[in-house]
Amino acid sequence: MKTFRYIPLIPLMICAATAQMPNSFDASGRSAQAQNGVQNDDPLRAGESPPPQIFGMELPLLDPSNDTVSYGGGHFDLGNNAAVRERFEKYLSQTPDDSEQSRLYRRNMQEILDYTERYVRGANLIGSRVLVKIGRGLYNLADYPGDGSQAGVLASAMVSALDVQRANRRRDQANEELDKELDELVDKTNSLTNQNTQRGSGRRNTAGGAGGSGNSGYSSHTFRIASNTAEIARLRAQQGTNVAANQAALPLAKLNYQSVVLGFLLQRRYDHAVIGARVYRHLFRDGDTRLDLDENSDAYKTFTGITGMPPTINTIDSFASNARREVDQSIDAVHGALAQNKLGEATNRLITAVATGEYMQSVATFPAEQRRRIAAYWQLRKRALSALNARDYATVESIAAQMREMDVDFDDSLLMSYTTGRKRQSNFALRAARQAFQAGNQEEFRRLATEAAMIWPQNPALDEGEAEIARVDSFAPQMEEFRRLLERREFRTIYTERERFRVVCADHELEKKYTEVLELVAGTDVLLARLKQGVEQDRTMGPCAAWEQITLLLKEDDRYSTDSVFMEEYNKVSSLAHDFVEALRYAKECEERGEYGSALSSYYRAKCFFNGSNLAAEGIERVTKVIVNAQY
Amino acid sequence: MARSTRRGRSKKKNHGSFIIGGLMVAVIVLAGMLFLKPSARSNEPKPFNIAQYRQDGSRFASTGNRYVLEGKVESIETDGNNRLVAVSVRGNSNELLPLLVKGDTPLQINITRGDTLIFDVSCRTGRDAEGNEVKGILIVNDVSIR
Repeated sequence: MKTFRYIPLIPLMICAATAQMPNSFDASGRSAQAQNGVQNDDPLRAGESPPPQIFGMELPLLDPSNDTVSYGGGHFDLGNNAAVRERFEKYLSQTPDDSEQSRLYRRNMQEILDYTERYVRGANLIGSRVLVKIGRGLYNLADYPGDGSQAGVLASAMVSALDVQRANRRRDQANEELDKELDELVDKTNSLTNQNTQRGSGRRNTAGGAGGSGNSGYSSHTFRIASNTAEIARLRAQQGTNVAANQAALPLAKLNYQSVVLGFLLQRRYDHAVIGARVYRHLFRDGDTRLDLDENSDAYKTFTGITGMPPTINTIDSFASNARREVDQSIDAVHGALAQNKLGEATNRLITAVATGEYMQSVATFPAEQRRRIAAYWQLRKRALSALNARDYATVESIAAQMREMDVDFDDSLLMSYTTGRKRQSNFALRAARQAFQAGNQEEFRRLATEAAMIWPQNPALDEGEAEIARVDSFAPQMEEFRRLLERREFRTIYTERERFRVVCADHELEKKYTEVLELVAGTDVLLARLKQGVEQDRTMGPCAAWEQITLLLKEDDRYSTDSVFMEEYNKVSSLAHDFVEALRYAKECEERGEYGSALSSYYRAKCFFNGSNLAAEGIERVTKVIVNAQY
Repeated sequence: MARSTRRGRSKKKNHGSFIIGGLMVAVIVLAGMLFLKPSARSNEPKPFNIAQYRQDGSRFASTGNRYVLEGKVESIETDGNNRLVAVSVRGNSNELLPLLVKGDTPLQINITRGDTLIFDVSCRTGRDAEGNEVKGILIVNDVSIR
């Protein structure tokens, strides 16, 4: 009975489930995550956070695990929606039954409906003959497999009701006969009683006359009166039993019949429900059409909730008749929408029609060609839903384009803005991941790359990124060797094999070091070439100048000391500028010993070898100052 | 006879060798005394070897000798009253000799760059402001024109 409550809600449920596509996908991808086994930390699981919003618009969430749609702060339990969808797909795959037997069934059903309608309009009650005719017609309908023997069930219910009625009538007739018997017995008893009374009064008037005989006559009437009285009591008891039996059988028969008719309504067999409801008042002629429902039952609440009145058998008639009309109108709307290439609307209308009136003739005979068109659109819609749940946004957009071609009314704006937004989110995350990777931040890279993949698993840039990562991973040996050479300060080796080590530029930090090394060694080579040229041009001062510059560089940056080429050149010019170098060395030594006279003399000597020597000039200035300011 | 004659000749030869050797020793001793005992003429200027000075200037200071040298003024650095003059001395290529001219030294002539002058100098050791030794400094006592 609980399901009954949802019948009026079926259209609402269907509309909620099959409205525009975004109404039916999991915007957060929760279901997809669940299917993929991906760890889900979405707070929505706890039901505490509101549905996600994209560009200020709240997106409906469908959780296929429990068929719940959350939207606008409300939660819609689709309940049987999955079953409705399944039945709809089954319906679409079926070919309409247009056999001779089917046509005959529909024709006979229509005749019975017309027949009952005619008698419903009439003021007079139909007799058993008509009812039997209807019952026979129903039994014939039950032979058709598509009926599911439901017409036979109705006919049997009618027969049962008639049987009860007949039994009641028989008991009523028996009571009438008992009444006659009772009347006769009462009359006889009264007569005997009067005779006894008259005899009694005559004896008192003729005292001593025929007193003996008078006593004997009195005795015989008295026994007969007693016997009649007992018989009257028995007959009245019999009448009471018959009345009680009638009173007990009628409600039971009504309940049985009402449950059958109500069952037809629940099964959406509106033709049967209408016939059953219309025949009801002819079966039960007491004028009581109330449905015998428990006031606390769902069915009672549903009926009273809709009409505000106590439910009657006429309510079922009204309900079923209205549903038949609605279904027929829906089918007409489907034809109209298809004619205008409005596949979305046609699909929704057909779902409504199938869900509410699957067994209606207009639904059952809906043309196969039209079904195929709607099935194609329905499949696209399902694929879009799957693609959305799988977060395959490119496929979603492709499907949306196809749906737009098929349905002139298809509004893909929300869908497209959603997919575009998600794709951008993924690309942004991927870009940030790339930057983190280039910066050598592996942890941040992993987090952002995962986020990008979660948002849009089919993002083509992910493949490129993956290839890039694989490529960089293949560089690991070179990177390791590069780091080792850096640690050992073998810059010249890196420079010599710079082409091989170019791959380390995939790592942003290593790229910086790579560039530094190349600039250092290349700069060194340029400098050494220039110094060599100076040495060749001036064999006297050239080596001194070269030595001094090399020495200054070694002081400034100790990395030069690790360069074999640099140090080789240093040794070479040291040899060529031996006197100059020795003079400076000795000057420095004397200066440290406090031999300022000798030191200054040595600096002078060095300056004589290379007049432009800064080292000598600085030494002269420094030592001169000491000498001049000392006390002697 | 012959043997005594030979012995006699041999004795004459030995005496001659001793005399020659003794003379040579005497010459060497005199020469050494001349070199190693300059105190006898310590107040007189000596010729100057820059290379020796450069190698060990403090030794020159410890002897306290005065030296006279002729040199050309190559540069003059002045700091306060004192001046430091760098002179080149003939026969000392690639060498310059630093000479300190103290401000309180009375000089007969002006020292200007490019002049060739005769410097009377003595080698001393001074002390800087922190009390550290400033060794082997040639200080000009007098200057004259050649």
